[in-house]
Amino acid sequence: MKIFTTMLATAALVASPLLADDAEWETWGLTDDAITIGVMGPFSGNASSYSKALVGMMAYYDKVNDAGGVHGRKLVAVQEDTACDSAKGLAAAKKLISQDEVFMLQGNSCSGVALALRPTIVEAGLPWIVAHAVSDSISDPMAHNIFHGVPTGSANGRAMAAFVLSKPDTENVAIIEHSNDWAHSYSNPARDYLKEHGVSPSQELTMERGQTDATAQILKLRQNKPDFIIAALYEAETAIFLRDLKKYGMGDIPVMGTAGTDLENTLKRTGDFDTVKNYYVIHSYVDNLDGTLMKPWADMIHKYAPDEELSTFSFVSIGSAEALVAALEAVGPDLTRSKLIAALEQVHDFDTGILSDPITWTATDHQGVKSSAVAGFVDGEPTVLKAWGQPY
Amino acid sequence: MSQTMPTAKQRRLRSLLFWAVPALLLLLPFATNPYTQFIANGMLISALVTLGFTLVIGNLGQLAFANTAFFGIGAYGSAILAAKLGLPWLLTIPLAGALGALGGFLASAAALRGIRSYYLAIITLAFGELMRWGYLHAKPLTGGTDGMPMPPETLFGTSFSSDTLKFYVFLAVTVLLVKATLNLMRSRFGRAVMAVRENEVATASLAIPTSRVILVTFMWSGFVVGCAGALFSRHVGYVFPESFGMLHLIASFAMVLVGGLGSVLGAVLGAVLLTALPEYLRAFPGMEELFFGLIVAAVLVLMPMGLASLLRRLSPIFVERFYREAP
Repeated sequence: MKIFTTMLATAALVASPLLADDAEWETWGLTDDAITIGVMGPFSGNASSYSKALVGMMAYYDKVNDAGGVHGRKLVAVQEDTACDSAKGLAAAKKLISQDEVFMLQGNSCSGVALALRPTIVEAGLPWIVAHAVSDSISDPMAHNIFHGVPTGSANGRAMAAFVLSKPDTENVAIIEHSNDWAHSYSNPARDYLKEHGVSPSQELTMERGQTDATAQILKLRQNKPDFIIAALYEAETAIFLRDLKKYGMGDIPVMGTAGTDLENTLKRTGDFDTVKNYYVIHSYVDNLDGTLMKPWADMIHKYAPDEELSTFSFVSIGSAEALVAALEAVGPDLTRSKLIAALEQVHDFDTGILSDPITWTATDHQGVKSSAVAGFVDGEPTVLKAWGQPY
Repeated sequence: MSQTMPTAKQRRLRSLLFWAVPALLLLLPFATNPYTQFIANGMLISALVTLGFTLVIGNLGQLAFANTAFFGIGAYGSAILAAKLGLPWLLTIPLAGALGALGGFLASAAALRGIRSYYLAIITLAFGELMRWGYLHAKPLTGGTDGMPMPPETLFGTSFSSDTLKFYVFLAVTVLLVKATLNLMRSRFGRAVMAVRENEVATASLAIPTSRVILVTFMWSGFVVGCAGALFSRHVGYVFPESFGMLHLIASFAMVLVGGLGSVLGAVLGAVLLTALPEYLRAFPGMEELFFGLIVAAVLVLMPMGLASLLRRLSPIFVERFYREAP
């Protein structure tokens, strides 16, 4: 048994990066002219459409590199596929960390994969900026090397409730949602926010996925006459709900939807502007996707990825890439992993020019984006709003 | 196709080889990094999953696809026992196997009712989907879509976050279960399993209790795959419903066919090849799925009886007594 345990311990040590000299570990993946960054995403499989979320970030790296890099170092992305599968994602992370020896990690769609990666990356200690996945549990409880660069699920849920309460005289709020965790990830933080502000949801209704009629729910709502409805529903069910809401003469009640629905897509689904004229959705950007404030970013993406068909996902990771570059600039040429982590914790009220809310990371809070804007139709035009009646 | 059976000397050599390979594998961690070690660990898990699968569809000849259900039952069983009841993970391995065996008992119910062929396939597929629905909706127990983390644990002062430590445990479990399965299939019971595959009515006419043979084979398959599920829960450290869907089932089925339907050696070879292949194909981003499909198709076209048939042609020591080549 003694021989066996000795062999185990020896093998574990040989395989462990901890054996490496601290100073050497600090600069793994760094050369005089390059910083290697491991970029993990679902480049294959059922969820490969989420890989679009990394396009903006990669284009931003290219833009920085074209301008000479950061202190003379180019940002070199090493891409690995997670296929949105936890085992494949872990293999990708271990490859990047122990075989490719990247300096840091940035990216990741698919919260499940990111959650599975967390213990491995915490143990490895290298900086990791989460640029798309939204689960709060990825960065809470806080890990010293994990930074969330997009609004988390709870930030979005609270932003929904904040927008609802920003409408004057809103007291009677109803919630309708799917009975799954995706919906709860929005509705639970929204409930918490409402309660913190003295409002208890007057009605809590369920509409299951695949339902093609919302009459029962609408009739219950008609008895209650809410001031605002929070709808944590997928886009198809949202369109059905809004259609039936109008059908029963309640189309004037505003409805707050999640980031999982798109304003204009919902309009396309219903085919009737009157059904969506009072519909609002979480929107993490400073402008509409085709708005003037987003145009420079769209141009940047098309310069480096000419075939990219732009969608909401295409822009989501750019903000955290900007914050990374700002931190790298702040560290100076004498870069180490610890110095980068310290610099990231100094990123404060960082206006990315693309995300609707700034990024702030501190030594005690690595969830950098605390809220989101909202999009809704104002005078018939899709408009980004800070609060009720307040354009962004 | 006739097969040359191994001589007594060759059988002794085969026995020696069976123990020599794992003995050599004990040295593997000295030649790997955490990434390659992780892949090696995944191969051992896949070998058990494929072994359990091939027992039912290859050896017993039942078109049943409950394999992924057994895998999920084992993984969730292990995670729940470790996280909710605080049992040491090592102890959860046989318990997860027992839960997998219970799953096998349930899945065999349709076969025992005389349902066969495509109908059995659909019923067992539905069983797998039903289990996945359970993982999703029994949130207090399974964590729902958020999944379920495995609690940290140590053995002899070494954390189970070490892929090396996991490897030794996985290797021990795999060797034990492969050996037990080989012994089972070489026994009188194993011959009864083959007899059921060849002609169930004729087997019953020999006073062999075919229902019991079917039931026990399903349960042993569930036990093996349930144990693999327990290893998987520690391998990834997190259990999610998505890990136990149709994609996993298709991958396991491909491993069975590429290795050689009904062959224990083939189960191991198929698992090793198809676990390693996607990792090698990482070097071709965007083309992995295409290359993977082409390679699997090429193996099956060139070796319809799988990789094990190639080894059988090389030497009689690789001939499995309970295995029968297609005519």
